[in-house]
Amino acid sequence: MASIPFSLGETDQVLVEEKYATRIFTLNRPNQLNAVSFPMVSRLLELFLACEEDHSVKLIILKGKGKAFCAGGDVAAVVRGITQGNRRPGAIFFRRQYILNYVMATYSKPQVSILNGIVMGGGAGVSIHGRFCVATENSPFAMPETALGLFPDVGASYFLSRLPGFFGEYVGLIGARLDGAEMLACGLATHFVLSEKLSLLEDALYKADSSDPVVISATISEFSLAPNVKEKSAFHRLNIINKCFSCKTIEEIILALEREAADKDDEWISSALQSLKKASPTSLKISLRSIREGRLQGLGKCLLREYGLVWTIMRGEINKDFFEGCRAILLDKDKNPKVHGYFYSFLYLVLCTNILFCVLIETFLPLFLLFRWEPAKLEQVTEDMVDRYFSKINDEDWEDLDLPRRSNIPPYAIAKL
Amino acid sequence: MEKVNFRTQILNGHLQNHRHATSTAAIISASPCVSYVPPEVSEQPFSFDVSSMRKLMDGHNLGERDWLFNLMVQSKLFNPRLRGGKVFVVPDYNHSMEQQREITMKRIEYLLDHGVFKGWLTGKGPEAEMKKFALLEVIEIFDHSLAIKIGVHFFLWGGAIQFFGTKRHHDRWLSATENYLIKGCFAMTELGHGSNVRGIETTATYEANTGEFVINTPCETAQKYWIGGAANHATHTIVFSQLNIDGNNQGVHAFITQIRDENGNVCPNIRIADCGHKIGLNGVDNGRIWFDNVRIPRENLLNSVADVSPDGKYLSAIKDPDQRFAAFLAPLTSGRVTIAASAVYSAKVISIAFTLFPIISGELISSYYCSILHRYLILIFSHQISLAIAIRYALTRRAFSITANGPEVLLLDYPSHQRRLLPLLAKTYAMSFASNYLKLLYVKRSPQLIKTIHVVSSAFKATLTWHNMRTLQECREACGGQGLKTENRIGQLKGEYDVQSTFEGDNNVLMQQVSKALLAEYVAAKKRNKPFKELGLEHINRSCPVIPAQLTSSMLRSTQFQNDIFCLRERDLLNRFAAEVSQYQAQGESKESAFVVSYQVAEDLGKAFSDRAILQIAIEAENNVTDASIKNILGLLRSMYVLVTLEEDAAFLRYGYLSTDNAAAVRKEVAKLCSEIRPQALALVSTFGIPDAFLSPIAFDWVAANSWSTVEN
Repeated sequence: MASIPFSLGETDQVLVEEKYATRIFTLNRPNQLNAVSFPMVSRLLELFLACEEDHSVKLIILKGKGKAFCAGGDVAAVVRGITQGNRRPGAIFFRRQYILNYVMATYSKPQVSILNGIVMGGGAGVSIHGRFCVATENSPFAMPETALGLFPDVGASYFLSRLPGFFGEYVGLIGARLDGAEMLACGLATHFVLSEKLSLLEDALYKADSSDPVVISATISEFSLAPNVKEKSAFHRLNIINKCFSCKTIEEIILALEREAADKDDEWISSALQSLKKASPTSLKISLRSIREGRLQGLGKCLLREYGLVWTIMRGEINKDFFEGCRAILLDKDKNPKVHGYFYSFLYLVLCTNILFCVLIETFLPLFLLFRWEPAKLEQVTEDMVDRYFSKINDEDWEDLDLPRRSNIPPYAIAKL
Repeated sequence: MEKVNFRTQILNGHLQNHRHATSTAAIISASPCVSYVPPEVSEQPFSFDVSSMRKLMDGHNLGERDWLFNLMVQSKLFNPRLRGGKVFVVPDYNHSMEQQREITMKRIEYLLDHGVFKGWLTGKGPEAEMKKFALLEVIEIFDHSLAIKIGVHFFLWGGAIQFFGTKRHHDRWLSATENYLIKGCFAMTELGHGSNVRGIETTATYEANTGEFVINTPCETAQKYWIGGAANHATHTIVFSQLNIDGNNQGVHAFITQIRDENGNVCPNIRIADCGHKIGLNGVDNGRIWFDNVRIPRENLLNSVADVSPDGKYLSAIKDPDQRFAAFLAPLTSGRVTIAASAVYSAKVISIAFTLFPIISGELISSYYCSILHRYLILIFSHQISLAIAIRYALTRRAFSITANGPEVLLLDYPSHQRRLLPLLAKTYAMSFASNYLKLLYVKRSPQLIKTIHVVSSAFKATLTWHNMRTLQECREACGGQGLKTENRIGQLKGEYDVQSTFEGDNNVLMQQVSKALLAEYVAAKKRNKPFKELGLEHINRSCPVIPAQLTSSMLRSTQFQNDIFCLRERDLLNRFAAEVSQYQAQGESKESAFVVSYQVAEDLGKAFSDRAILQIAIEAENNVTDASIKNILGLLRSMYVLVTLEEDAAFLRYGYLSTDNAAAVRKEVAKLCSEIRPQALALVSTFGIPDAFLSPIAFDWVAANSWSTVEN
């Protein structure tokens, strides 16, 4: 038995409360914006599986401690492993995380995630798949992976592709930031409740004492409202989004956006274009294809594909966008402390917590440009290169993502398979 | 009585559970009530890699296919419906004919706006062609009407311009067609003449003083009939008419004629009527057209082979109208050879015309024409769709217990149900390889391949479309009552696809033509005393295979035996056919009437040719596979394909290729193969790569799809 390079002792990363038949799990790494770590994922998985067996449990509430719900996956260990030429820790982390995503999606009891605070990357993975997601006026959401040399994973190719029209492509490729109202409008959240009402909502949920999704939904609805989506929202631009983001390739999407930009003076279009041009070209192409395939597949297949992608990315043979980024952070920090002092702290945040990229990008833009994508241009990323990310993996140390056989799957979740 | 009691018990159980349902969820989930278990959960893990297999089956342009699937799934125009928690896109066949036609046109506009048709006529090379095929296949998975309406515009109208027209036509029409600035249709068949194009009655008379052709419908049987696109939308058509110059008939020629103006009003001197509601394909606006002295400029003659000079001289290097027609078709197979009208034809083209002549006689010219131009429209997926649905349903639906108080048995665990579906699945695999082969043959077309393309496409078109209809019927029945619901697709597909055995060449006519072509090969080989070297008939040069008296299971599964028995049947039937025809001729019958009366052997021979060709393609596909698990399952499917053919085709017993003992051994082996293929059934239909949204509710959680909570009040 190979040793797992993580400590499993830190179970206080998830706080557990019992209220009647409800279990409340609180992500408890407030200083890291509740970034999903390996111990946290492991603990959550353990808790979810145990509660499924426990007949006294009817409902699970998941929330975050502090200002964030969960700002992403803590890939520090992945980074460390890769810099030491070992992708095994990373592989184990992603495997367990995806299994957790899968278990949540096929869970026999309702999960209510209270998204009061940042929801990014891996944070979306531990919430969106569950039965109910409650957004608040304080729920900034984003899938920022394309800007990090990665791609939207944690089953995002499943849930993004199910958004209306081609909104999912927009959210996934741009790393667009949505607020709670937008999440509700596009279907990422099932309800919207003002944060001041949250404690009342929780009380009502304990008292509802039910596993029936209809009852739970009705209970949340008592506190929820339908906020107006802000005027500047991308959601009001679904026509343009559908027109541009339905194109076959990233190049064509950019062309279409540029054509739109020429037609009308819209800041939104130019910022979308900017995001696309800043993101890793390889990531963009992989992400688009992953979402497109995901739209036609069940969640299981989506996670399997994503796992293959993440493995190939960690292998770094075709492309080192992720790998190089990681190395730069960990090795170069001593060489030029003046620059890298900031750079490191920023990138540490980005990589270790996926911290609100969209907010920080403006402040740290000059530093961020230190990311040198390779290949640097879209046209240099050939179809053949992209194909290799999606092809069957024959590495000696490759281990399939072994999704658990689930029983007792509720009807609404059966449809996700 | 015992049965009645048992049934009462079960019903009682259901009611009891129902009462409990109001208490707690835990009890609901523990109830013995029939519940849906997804086949992905209940079935064994796949024994082979489905995505590798899919690559083998339709291994090209997967990215483009996915893109187009995405475009359809995400648009309201494609009628997405939520059933059992999943979205299905399928046309609303409850719409009236008019609504179906309008929505089909809107879908075309949507695809056009998203650049789906880019390069369909202006793109060059095999890559563009394969891409076009892939996209058309995806469209076809959604709806046959949509595919046919697009096919008529691009492949019949556009193809005619491309292949029968010259530069002036290409410049003027191809790009306009690709962008739907005009909408084309193809007016060949008439009320009185379908397959026999040479007999059509529409006339085009040249008037030298005005430099125009005058198109006329001289009698009711000359009305153009079944013209797809004509009833509502088409603005232009290719009219096939008898060309008259100075009172001389120069045979059938094709002309471009405008039939509607840009506002959609029918042009003067044109009358158009609707063909009316059909048993399927109601999204296609088939119409009838009459021409009353319609004048068109001289340049509208598609003049790749023959032209008319301004002063009314007929220009063609080929005097015989049949040969001319053949030459007319030559550019189709030699890529983009465009022949200037007055130029002297190259020796090559003329020689092709002569090679063709023996196989395209008289009334069969039209099906010949169709074979090359658009038989590749017959890339049928409905058998794959229906099998995927029926097999997925059979893996989740139970009926009857075979032990007292035991659980009810899954449909697909009944050997009889396996026997109904699995042989069809095996045939579908074999035929998918065959249709891929045809596609490649078309893309790689060259003058040398013209005969092969013609004969093989005729045979496969008939065989595949017959198989398709049979599969649809069996799958419909195998789904029981659910098969009758339009939303479950299979029943509806029967109506949608029935036309395939008629259009692009009536299946029976095509099969007779195959036999005739084989006979021509036979006569040529015997006359010149030369070996066979085309159409896969080379096996006749070798000694006649001998079938062992006692066939064992392993022999039955060997490619050697399988190949032998198919070859034996083909060579023997060819000999018989030749003997019968020559016997009639010796009695003073003409060659044509000898063919007509020898139809029985001809039919058997056509089938023998087709089956043997398909088998050889399947064997080759299998040989090219290196993955052992895929090779293994392909071997089982191939054996099933052959053995079930042996079992079903009476010719093997009729002519004694199989002894009755051997026939019994074959039957036994079929049952054995069923049970061996059964565990792979889910993987085998998953391989088709048809996204869930394009299947139907019974392929997934049909309990949820039918639950009370989904009833719209």
